[in-house]
Amino acid sequence: MTVHNLYLFDRNGVCLHYSEWHRKKQAGIPKEEEFKLMYGMLFSIRSFVSKMSPLDMKDGFLAFQTSRYKLHYYETPTGIKVVMNTDLGVGPIRDVLHHIYSALYVELVVKNPLCPLGQAVQSELFRSRLDSYIRSLPFFSARAG
Amino acid sequence: MADEALFLLLHNELVSGVYKSAEQGEVENGRCITKLENMGFRVGQGLIERFTKDTARFKDELDIMKFICKDFWTTVFKKQIDNLRTNHQGIYVLQDNKFRLLTQMSAGKQYLEHASKYLAFTCGLIRGGLSNLGIKSIVTAEVSSMPACKFQVMIQKS
Repeated sequence: MTVHNLYLFDRNGVCLHYSEWHRKKQAGIPKEEEFKLMYGMLFSIRSFVSKMSPLDMKDGFLAFQTSRYKLHYYETPTGIKVVMNTDLGVGPIRDVLHHIYSALYVELVVKNPLCPLGQAVQSELFRSRLDSYIRSLPFFSARAG
Repeated sequence: MADEALFLLLHNELVSGVYKSAEQGEVENGRCITKLENMGFRVGQGLIERFTKDTARFKDELDIMKFICKDFWTTVFKKQIDNLRTNHQGIYVLQDNKFRLLTQMSAGKQYLEHASKYLAFTCGLIRGGLSNLGIKSIVTAEVSSMPACKFQVMIQKS
């Protein structure tokens, strides 16, 4: 059970943060393109899900999975999107993604006057706290499963 | 708690507002730091009137400094000063190992050069508080590794 990587986007599609822990295969395209591809896909899936839903929508798009990995999605009312790729053994982790937003992003980036909003996060403190939080999660193991 | 975040965000905007409206050359010659310190001075004067309205008179200078370190700091920053040192000849060093206005910034050396801007208001706060208790002083601050910082108070004997 493990976490592969994590993306953080803002409302305009700017990738605020990306880190990876276990990624065996790269996308084969430059990072900028990868972020645009990820954001575009999420945008399309969200509108698709809300249009085609046979019932009234509550939370909207939450996750998708393939035979090898699962992508979890969390969006805040302000448009901040947290996207985490994990392996298949991991259940719903909405509260984990919410914690990343409230206790890490809001505390260390929004409240940091030297971090301008709308740009990639440069704060070392944010990076290291995020890393240690992910490593402390029960479904993260140092060896890729 | 809502009011902590409110003061923090307001203080951050205050610093960036002063620097944005600074004219040519004002950033270099420290006018911005002076403006922030003077704002803190006036706020400190008012705050100390409110906080001491029911307390007894202070015995001596050391007692006043202890009040600043314990009650004043707790009311403003929800924690006490971690370490107070003095040479008993009018110089006091107040050390805060986890200064509330710097904890979100970094844990070490990143952004160190900007730290002094965010300490100027608090220096004025201490100077204003002391001045309304009858002590003239000069307060400076230094940071070597965030979020710990030291405030140095030099009492001016008239």
